Amino acid sequence: CTDDLNITPKDDQTTLGGDLFQNEGAYKQVLAGIYANLALTGTDGPESSNLKGIDAGTSQFGRVLLYTQTLSADQMIWSYENDPGTREIQRNIWTSQNPLLLGMFSRAHLSVALANSFLRETTDGALDARGVSANTRSEIVAYRAEARLLRAMAYYYMMDLFGQANFSDENTPINSQPEAYNRVQLFDFVESELLAIENDLPAPGQNEYGRADKGVAYMLLAKIYLNAEVYINEAHYAECLTYCERIISGGYQLADSYLHNFMADNNTNSATKEIIFPIVSDGITVQNYGPTTVMINGSVGSIEQNGSEVGVGAGGWGGALRVRKQLADLFGAGFNNDDRNTIISAGRPIEITDISDRDTGYILQKYSNATSTGDFGPDQTFVDTDFPLFRLADVYLMYAEAHLRGGGGTLSAAVDYFNNLRTRANNPNTITSGELTLDLILDERARELHWEAHRRQDLIRYGRFTGGSYNWVWKGNGSNGISLPAHFNLYPIPVGSLAANPNLEQNPGY
Amino acid sequence: MVTEQSTSIPLPGVNVVIKGTTTGTATDFDGNYQIEVNNGDVIVFSYVGYQSKEITYSGQTSLDVQLSEDAAQLEEIVVIGYGSTTKKDATGSVEAITQEDFTKGNIVTAENLLNGRVAGVSVNTSGAPGSGSQIRIRGGSSINASNDPLIIIDGLPIDNKGVTGSRGVLASINPNDIDSFSVLKDASATAIYGSRAANGVIIIVTKKGKSTFSATYDTQFSFGEVTDYIDVFSADGFRQLVASQPINNQTIDESLLGNANTNWQEEVFRSTAASSQHNISMQGSLLRVLPTRFSFGAVKQEGVLETSDFDRRNLSVALNPSFFDDHLKVNLNANLAFEDNRFADAGQIGAAMRYDPTQPVFDPSSPFGGYYQHRDGNIISIGTQNPVASLLQRNNTGDANRAYGNLNFDYKFHFLPELRAVLNLGFDQTKSTGTDINAFGTPNSNERLNFIGSFKRNNQIRINRLFDGYLTYKKDFDKVGAELTAGYSYQRFINNGKNGRNIRDELSVDDFYADPDIVLIGFFGRANISFLDKYLLTLTYRRDGTSRFGENNRWGDFPAAAFAWNISDEDFLKDSETISNLKLRVGFGITGQQDIDEKDIFLNRYRGGLSNSQYQFGNSVIQSLIASEINPDLKWEETTTIEFGVDYGLFGNKVTGSLNFFQKNSTDLLFTATVADGTNFSNSVIQNIGELQIQGMEFSVNTDVVNTDDFKLDFNLNATLLDREIQELALGQDVRTGGISGGTGNNIQIHREGEAPNSFYVFKQLYDPSGNPIEGAYADLNGDNVINDEDRYIKENPGANTILGFQSNIFYKNFDFAFNLRANLGNYVYNNVRSSKSQYALLLDNGIPANVPTSVLETNFQNTSDVITSDIYVENASFLRMDNITLGYTFNEISNSLKSIRIWGGVQNVFTITEYSGLDPEVTDNDSDLTLTLGIDNVVYPRPRTFLVGANFKF
Repeated sequence: CTDDLNITPKDDQTTLGGDLFQNEGAYKQVLAGIYANLALTGTDGPESSNLKGIDAGTSQFGRVLLYTQTLSADQMIWSYENDPGTREIQRNIWTSQNPLLLGMFSRAHLSVALANSFLRETTDGALDARGVSANTRSEIVAYRAEARLLRAMAYYYMMDLFGQANFSDENTPINSQPEAYNRVQLFDFVESELLAIENDLPAPGQNEYGRADKGVAYMLLAKIYLNAEVYINEAHYAECLTYCERIISGGYQLADSYLHNFMADNNTNSATKEIIFPIVSDGITVQNYGPTTVMINGSVGSIEQNGSEVGVGAGGWGGALRVRKQLADLFGAGFNNDDRNTIISAGRPIEITDISDRDTGYILQKYSNATSTGDFGPDQTFVDTDFPLFRLADVYLMYAEAHLRGGGGTLSAAVDYFNNLRTRANNPNTITSGELTLDLILDERARELHWEAHRRQDLIRYGRFTGGSYNWVWKGNGSNGISLPAHFNLYPIPVGSLAANPNLEQNPGY
Repeated sequence: MVTEQSTSIPLPGVNVVIKGTTTGTATDFDGNYQIEVNNGDVIVFSYVGYQSKEITYSGQTSLDVQLSEDAAQLEEIVVIGYGSTTKKDATGSVEAITQEDFTKGNIVTAENLLNGRVAGVSVNTSGAPGSGSQIRIRGGSSINASNDPLIIIDGLPIDNKGVTGSRGVLASINPNDIDSFSVLKDASATAIYGSRAANGVIIIVTKKGKSTFSATYDTQFSFGEVTDYIDVFSADGFRQLVASQPINNQTIDESLLGNANTNWQEEVFRSTAASSQHNISMQGSLLRVLPTRFSFGAVKQEGVLETSDFDRRNLSVALNPSFFDDHLKVNLNANLAFEDNRFADAGQIGAAMRYDPTQPVFDPSSPFGGYYQHRDGNIISIGTQNPVASLLQRNNTGDANRAYGNLNFDYKFHFLPELRAVLNLGFDQTKSTGTDINAFGTPNSNERLNFIGSFKRNNQIRINRLFDGYLTYKKDFDKVGAELTAGYSYQRFINNGKNGRNIRDELSVDDFYADPDIVLIGFFGRANISFLDKYLLTLTYRRDGTSRFGENNRWGDFPAAAFAWNISDEDFLKDSETISNLKLRVGFGITGQQDIDEKDIFLNRYRGGLSNSQYQFGNSVIQSLIASEINPDLKWEETTTIEFGVDYGLFGNKVTGSLNFFQKNSTDLLFTATVADGTNFSNSVIQNIGELQIQGMEFSVNTDVVNTDDFKLDFNLNATLLDREIQELALGQDVRTGGISGGTGNNIQIHREGEAPNSFYVFKQLYDPSGNPIEGAYADLNGDNVINDEDRYIKENPGANTILGFQSNIFYKNFDFAFNLRANLGNYVYNNVRSSKSQYALLLDNGIPANVPTSVLETNFQNTSDVITSDIYVENASFLRMDNITLGYTFNEISNSLKSIRIWGGVQNVFTITEYSGLDPEVTDNDSDLTLTLGIDNVVYPRPRTFLVGANFKF
């Protein structure tokens, strides 16, 4: 009886692809799987991972995004440099061996693979064959648009961080060696996809919380246009401004309080007006070692032991995260009482001369597992706080910047948006139209959006990430910062990914 | 009447047949028989396990016959796959180890009977009671797939994976029930097991029933103690160290120190761990016709780590009747094992190293069960917790009940006695239940869980069913002997269970799991051809199917051939007084490997998230479904072995042994390697890429140095030289491996082409002019002025290149004395205890004083992160150790019924000679998955030194 060799899975968590879609509810669950790839690292708890060659927690999408965009720049220090890859990222001495870069590259590409798979399973032909009901089919239209959006978003980050990606779509065979797209190709693809799906997406703010709508597509478009000079050497500030306007007119509003955006109930409090796209986290049902769990546990001070204030264990992670001097300096005079200034400095020197000395350098209390009503998330390690990947405040500052860079719009609107943020932060020091400069916007972006995974991109756009025009502490592995070669504007393609697809070419300089 | 020669006890059931006819009878209960014969007829008396006797009838009215046990023949028999052969006729590298050769001492688990006994076989057992072992034959031929040998008990291949609640798959077998081991090493011997034989085969044969009565009772008591601790600071030393404030840039708050003097390592270990074993066995004819063996064994073993216990009771019955004039032999082996464990978290040994020695064990004001804890009122501080409390407040027990055995029919055809049909039905089922309770006073940094402790139940069931059958045709022609075997084998493995929720936490949920069944089907055939008894040829072929691979790749073909030449039978050596036996062997074969974690990776699957791995849409929970990695093209890993061997016997076989040279090449390695990102549902998927080569030499010599009635001295020496090298990896890529503690996701080892697997990959330490290491200063090996990952280099590997075993038995009058020695040379260990613990910054454990090893004084290192990948932690761990030494005295013929009593005493883990600075150069893992920490010394469960006394009674 050699037929017995045909086995089927018996575990209740596993379903064969052929059986799965007999239940029409599965389409939404598979869609949820693509979203979940931004929050979860695997299906079997926060320590599980569907990627290999990297610790589960450090392949979490939001976390590696935070590492590549924030830890690599001037705002954050990670104390435990024996966590592989962190030392090289925060001292700007990374190589293609870096496991965190592998985590970023592989995690984003997994989003592509999951989206492609969903698109394959939801073609008209496949739906016809399964006799899917009209009701479900009408919902699948938006699902497919969302899958394409998540795929475009993954390619956007690859374009930004690595300047290259394996290009695969729903027609690419499993385990093949696909074409590699460069920045120009990726830009075209991301732009054309986002434009193509616009009509199939719900209006801004009209999809269920946690799912993408037109607002997210507009945000991605605004981002690629704002950075188009970096990506494709073309200015697209007018398009950037257009899409900022569309978002702003889409009904989003600033949260009542700045800190609502970073609290355990930011999925229900006033932040829902402001957050355009979150990465969901929940202490019970969506446990992950993602950016909010890391930042809330990690920013508990080694001296202060202030974890209970933010709803985690009193000692947190013993002082894993601190702020670099340059960020602290931005909250000097005029920002002492700004809501965005959550720096704790008492008893601490501002300088970090020894990175592993967790008692030096200021700490921060921006993110919290406390709710706006004074309760706490139910778990003291895995926080309830969603990571605000995109929010309206960012759009306000993008509008102002795109305006100053010649993208049109009006100066008064730009200044208003700028001042709205200060007012919301209860900072009376609003500016006049004459004071709005690109440098001020860059600083204001740091004050508003620090630790939100934007900083490296901003500094590159301003030409200050590499070179020696702006040196922050530990830049280039010098305690006071030294110049970085220009090739550090792109990360190297991870060595394993490069080997697996010879169509990729290592970025120059690595 | 037919009687047993040495005891004169009547033998029932003896076949009495007139030669050349089918006329015959059998003896009755009293050994009597009647038969009608004619003058000149030859009467054949035959009985299992006895030498047959032929007597020509010459008119007697009664004919009394004495049969003697066929000891000589039995000894020579070597059990091989689907049959047996004799030492002389064996063509492959097969080593048979019978009871007399077993390693002696406090043997609780079966594999330890082989410790150091067989060239090429290494057994590494942790110090935990009843612990499982890592067994390697010739080093293991895989990298990612299993390196465990195939273990077969009475024809039933067992599953290498244990169950939760049990210590290991061999832990439930009573070593006293084992009659012999056959270790099959080369491909020509193993290829009949095709798919699962790449790492060698160990065949275990259990004791069978006999028709004469005998009984034994064995008992032993032992007392174990920990011989060595990791040197950490004493309370006073610690106070002085803290007062000296050795941490740069940071102040240790001395007011946090206590007034106690606690040696935490002494607190977590028992001063003596007692254990006892009792075994009763009886053999004899049940109802006078049914040869039967019955045994009962009970083991109770305390671990040296506080609270750990192992308790096992075994019942086994073997029934071995014959029918139809011995044409049908039936062997039934039925075994029950009841294993009760209490597990102790070996991680607490590490906590004991770290915990502040100035704090007491108990604190009457503590809300945490009266144990001292670092705390702020009712809130536990993060970091290390009181290890004594962690052990005593937890009761983690597992009961595993196992039933295994087989029913074997061996039928010799009436019309064609040269043809036998063998049918073997095997069954192995282990059910385990575990309960893991943490007392209510157990601290938890999560306030929701503080003071509720936990209560979890888990259960698991593993089932292994075997059906195989084969036909054997054996006939000796004039000059040619032939034995042909062909058969079919079917085996199915089932595994499922539950990891229970913490019933004291309403948010906790049960997790049920079930593996896909594993089904293995094989067709096999073998031809043994001998010419003049001097030239022996074996051809083997097996075709195997596995459920692990997709339909197109499921079947693998595994051929083997071997040729042997008994030179000593040639005329020119026949009469040699020096060379009594000389055989040259050459073998070639291909074996397969499919034993990987993945069981259904060829299927298109989706996996739903656990309750804590969901997603939320619109603030309601939705179970996400995520496609699982897939590889429909996965196929067999193949190992090709070439072997040259010499078996020799000198001076009337006073000196015997073997010399083998072998090379194994594993190709299409089942290896987890990168795939182009975005084209699969992982970045790395198990594939068939890479090649591993093993070259080696084995040598053994067994000698009866003296062999007189009063004085006997023999010894066995075996030596293995091994060299494992990766020839090819996927895309030429290095693969990082060897996770260590100290940092999240740190790896210390690498697989690289041209190097041994699991080579240590470290930075080259720089030293100051006086020879002290400079913290964090490494050589810029690639000269690019940046010290980064590209400056790491390979320093040695954990594999020994030379493995030596030596054992000796001395008998003087009624005294017996035995000991064994083992040595590994050229094996290196990464001392993760020092690398992750021996730095001044660790004097603060999340703000609270904590102890560190005194070796910090040697380096004066400050920060773990700066030094953890330094090459100074890769140490030579070559060792020589004496595992066992025993001395016994036997009183003979005490009474009619009590034949002998042997009283003995011994010591286990007598000494170890090594330069390695850690506790034990033979590193084991505290978990079951030993391969993952190969050569990495984290805190290990120490092997106790054990003193034993025992007595054996023979009836």
